[in-house]
Parts: sequence; C-alpha cells; structure tokens
Amino acid sequence: MPETLTALGLSHYLMTGAVLFVLGLIGFVTRRNLIIMFLCTEMMFQGVALSLVAGAKFHANVTGQTFVIFVLTIAAAEAALALGLVVMMFRRRGTLDVDAWQAMSG
Amino acid sequence: MNVFMDKLALLWPEVAMMLGAVACLLAGLSSRQSLRKATPAVAMLALVVAAVLVRLVPNAQGAYDPGVDPSHFLGLGGMVPFVKMSVLALGLILVMVASGTPEALRQVIAAEAKEGKAFEPGDCFRGEFYAFMLFSLTGVMLCAGASDLVWLFLALELTSLPTYVMAATSRDKPAAQESAVKYFFLGAMSAAVFLYGFALIYTATGLTEFGPIVAYVEQNGVSPMMLTGVVLAVVGICFKIAAVPMHFYTADVYEGAATPVTAFLAFVPKTAGFVSLIGILGLVGWGESHGGTASELPEPLVYLLALIAVLTMTVGNVLGLMQQRIKRVLAYSSIAHSGYMLVGLLVGPEAVHAATGSNTLLSNGLAAVLFYLVAYGLSTVSSFAVVACMSRADGSEVETYDDLAGMRQRHPFLSGVLLVSVISLVGLPPLVGFLGKLYLIGSAYAAASAGSATAWVYPAVVVAMVLNSAISAGYYLRIAAVAFFGTDSGQTVELDLPTRRWGAAIAAGAALLLGGLPGNLLVESSRKAAEPPLPNAVPGATLDRQNADDTPPRETAEAGPASAPH
Repeated sequence: MPETLTALGLSHYLMTGAVLFVLGLIGFVTRRNLIIMFLCTEMMFQGVALSLVAGAKFHANVTGQTFVIFVLTIAAAEAALALGLVVMMFRRRGTLDVDAWQAMSG
Repeated sequence: MNVFMDKLALLWPEVAMMLGAVACLLAGLSSRQSLRKATPAVAMLALVVAAVLVRLVPNAQGAYDPGVDPSHFLGLGGMVPFVKMSVLALGLILVMVASGTPEALRQVIAAEAKEGKAFEPGDCFRGEFYAFMLFSLTGVMLCAGASDLVWLFLALELTSLPTYVMAATSRDKPAAQESAVKYFFLGAMSAAVFLYGFALIYTATGLTEFGPIVAYVEQNGVSPMMLTGVVLAVVGICFKIAAVPMHFYTADVYEGAATPVTAFLAFVPKTAGFVSLIGILGLVGWGESHGGTASELPEPLVYLLALIAVLTMTVGNVLGLMQQRIKRVLAYSSIAHSGYMLVGLLVGPEAVHAATGSNTLLSNGLAAVLFYLVAYGLSTVSSFAVVACMSRADGSEVETYDDLAGMRQRHPFLSGVLLVSVISLVGLPPLVGFLGKLYLIGSAYAAASAGSATAWVYPAVVVAMVLNSAISAGYYLRIAAVAFFGTDSGQTVELDLPTRRWGAAIAAGAALLLGGLPGNLLVESSRKAAEPPLPNAVPGATLDRQNADDTPPRETAEAGPASAPH
C-alpha cells in the first residue's frame, strides 16, 4: 500500500463523516419507506458523530467526545419517537410507504 | 462558587417549569376527577411561578446577586430575561387556548370514569399533553440561555421533540398523525443538518463555548470550515423557523394538527429558532474585527440570509394568496413573517453606529427581531385561537373562507378579535404588527446607510418586504372582509370553551395596547434586551486576547467576549 494511504489525517475522518452524512441525506430524499428513511437520518447522525470524535482527537480535548454522548442520547430519544409513530401509522394504514399518505396537499 | 453551581442557580425558572411538567403528569392521572380537570390550571401555575422566578434570579440586566460571578451569566446577555418573559407570557396564552384540546379526544373521553366504570389511567393522556407544552416552552427558555453548542443542541431538541407528539395526539383525525410523521421526519433530518454544522464549528475551532469561539474567530478569522458550519447550522435551523429551504412541511403540518397546537407550533419552535440563530450568527459576526464595519456578518452569510429572507417572504405570501383553507393561509403567513424577521437578523445589533450613533429600535436589528417575535406571536396566536373557538355544526374544524363568512352576525366578539389580529398581521397602525414592521424596515434602512460593501443588499430587502406586505394584505383583508361582509352560512357554532375565547381576546388586546401606547413595556424592554450586555456579564473568554484589547471593546449583544468596563 502506498505511503500516502496509510497515514490517516483529520481530513480522512472528516471526509468519511461527510460521505456518511451525504449518503444519509440522499437516502432520506430518495427512499419511500419510513423505516429506511429513519435509518438514513440515523446515518446522518453517525456522520456527525464521526466528525466530532475526529475533531476531538485532532484538538486533543474531550469536548467533542462528550458532545457525541449527548448526540447519541438524543438519537435514542428520536428513535423511540420514530418507532411509536411508525407503529401508529402502520396500524392505521397497513403500509409504511410515505406516498400512501397524501391526504393533505395544495 | 464554581461555574456549574452559578449556572444552576440561574436556572430556577427552568427547574420550576420541569417540576410543573411533572405535576401536570401527576394531575392528569389523579384518581379524583376534579384534579384531573385542573391539569391546565397546574400548567398555568407553573408558568406564573417560572415568570416570577425569572424576575428574581440575577441576570445581565441588573439585579445582581453578589453570590454569582457575573461572568457565569447565561448565554445571550440581556436577551435572556426578555425571551424568557415573552415565552412565558405567550405560553400562558397558549395553554389557555389549548385547554380543552385533549379533553375532546375520543380516547381521553373514554378513559374518564362514568356510568359505573372506573377511571382508566392507561388510556388517558391529558397530563402528557400539558406537560409536553411545558417541556417545549422550557426548551425555548434554555435556547435563550445557551452559551455552548452542546447546550444549544439539547435545548433545540427539547423544544422540538414534544411538539411532534403534540401534533400526533392532538386530533382523532388521520390527518393529525400524517402531519406528525411529516413533521417528525423532516425535523430529524433538519436536526442532523444543524448538528453537522455544530460539529464543523467545533472541528474548526476545537471549542464549543460561545465566548471562546468568538475570541478565537476574532484572532484567526473565519475559516472556510467554520463558515460551512455556520451555513449548515443556519439552514438546519431554518426548519424551526419555517424558512425557505426547509418550509415544505409547514402548511401540511399546521393544517393537520389541532388548531391550538398549530398556534403553539407557529410561535414556540419559531422563537427557539430565531434565538438560536442570534446565538450562532453572533459567533462569526457582529463582533469586533470583521473588515471595515465592525458589526457586519461575513459577506457570504449576508448574501445567504438576504436570499433566504426574500425567498421566504415571497414564497409565503404568494402561496398564501392562493390558498382556500384558513389554516393553510395562516401557515403560509407564518412562513412570510419568518422572512420579515430574517431581515432584522441580517442587519444585526449595531447597524446604526455610522449613521446616527444612537441605539433605538429603529436602528438595532436584533431589538427589532425580538419585538417582532412577540408582535407576531400575539397576532398569529389570537388568529389561530379564533379559528379554534369555532366549529362546524357537525363538530369538524372550521376550514375554508366560506366557514367564516358572515361570522360578525352570530359571533361578534370573535370576529372583532379576528379583525384586530389580521390587521396586526398586515401591519397597519395602531397595532403592534405595524410597529414591528416599522422597526425592521427602520433597522434595514439604517444598515443601508452604514456604507459597507454589502450595503446595497438592504434597500433591495426593504423593497421586497414592502411589496410582500402589500401582497399579504390581499389574503389578510380577505379574511376580515369575509367575516364582516360575507353571507352567514349558519353552519358554524362557537365552542363552549371560555378560556380559549379569553386567550384569544387577551392576545388581541395585547396586540392593540402594545401597538397603540407609545413607549410601552414591550418597546422599552426589547430595546434594552438587545443593548450590549454589561461589562463582564458574558462568559469569559479563555483565549489570549492581546490583539483585541488594542481597540476599544464593543460587546456583541449575545455571548461576546468579556472585556474591560466602559
């Protein structure tokens, strides 16, 4: 393996975080299943978490890692809420396709 | 005392709100029916107690407590007590308007004890509804007190998460659940976006506290990564304020939720968003060392905000004009008002120093935004509340212009309130909405005369704002005209909810008084709120500040660096 690929710097981690974030965003916009869409937002959060941890390592302080802990708790709270909403919608409509819910428009 | 204990001592209002929320949860599940029915009163009591505590705890605007180190004061300086008081006052009106909402749900009615059946606590979520209102309001108060990115993120999420549940459980209709799902998913996505912005700000500086970040930026300038972070944070927070790249959900969510909840959504997350934007934008601008005119934001941000502002007000008003259903009209109007308020953010706190050197509402963009937030809140809450006070004969919600037709004849009181609130939303004197628009336009005008590189933006924005106000008159006055001169369809009845009716009346009365009386409480306090904080009244900067000390210190209105007394 060439030398340039073995030396990992801040930018490598940030790029990985950015790729995760953008993949999540693209998935959120293109997929139509509620659970997949929620997983995509989770992936965006993971991209953020990776950037934060990389930043913490780069600046040699733990603030970023502390931030990640809080991000994880909020992500867990959102997951609980999402599960509740998804179960409620599935009981009502029998499908998780977002296109099935277009009662309001205009 | 240390920083942690000092900050905790300043958070008594929030503590009271949290305890009030727990009390609501308990009261809603009480085995005594009288106590269950008193749940909204418990919520109102918590709001009043919190308001008293806001007056008592020390803050940057005086009322010093020698026990607290002034450098440990909460986030946005003088704005903290102002935002807290206005959120609590509007919160009181919102609880009044919302009382009766969960009680009308089938599940809650079925859970009540009657005809020999025992009360079923498992099915009753009356307490949760009011507790979530208090949680969300607490989130806004914490947003104002934020002096750290982590804190700000948690406060924003505390504001938003309860509102998703409130939207979902507010009505028996599937539309409510549909709106909640839309709101939640887009909300989670936008949270990820502004969080990514926060992460980039942290990675660029290695700091999360506002004071040190401002000091760092003053020393090292705004790096591209920092700027990207701020832009992402602004775009993500645009969801909370329903501004253009993130406004798609607004009409559907506002229409689907029960009308009192819609009133809540139109004011509370929006306030949280604007307060957070003030904090975030203050990190890179309005400080000491950015180009020639010190109070300028970085140029790309000025163009971005101006673009968002103009697009938001135009989209809101043009689409609002095309709607037939009242709640959608008001939803688009709330988008438009976000556009107006963004103009004040664009101007920033000290537009005027070049022109007149005075600090009045006509020159301070932030004071104008704070004033407008309350003005908009009062007018929009009272107009939603009037809609919530009425229903069709079959029990469904009032929806179209036709439903309001001729309401003057059978509901004279409500139509008077509606008239006041829509005229305030148009921005005609002597109502508070007029003063709000006047201050926003005045501050933009002052910024235009400041002579910076981006000064040409401000006249353009002002022209857009005036044109948009004219467009908005089209649909606001149509509401008033239909209510007063339409033919009564005889289809509407007024709900028997005196607190909701009085909530609407109080909001409209306040809109009238605060607009009509010159130099009143709101004018004075919003001007004071955006004044530079007292010396040392902001979190101390820990970085080396030798360079910045050469120039006379000028505080930013939010968590700027501490400096020598004037």
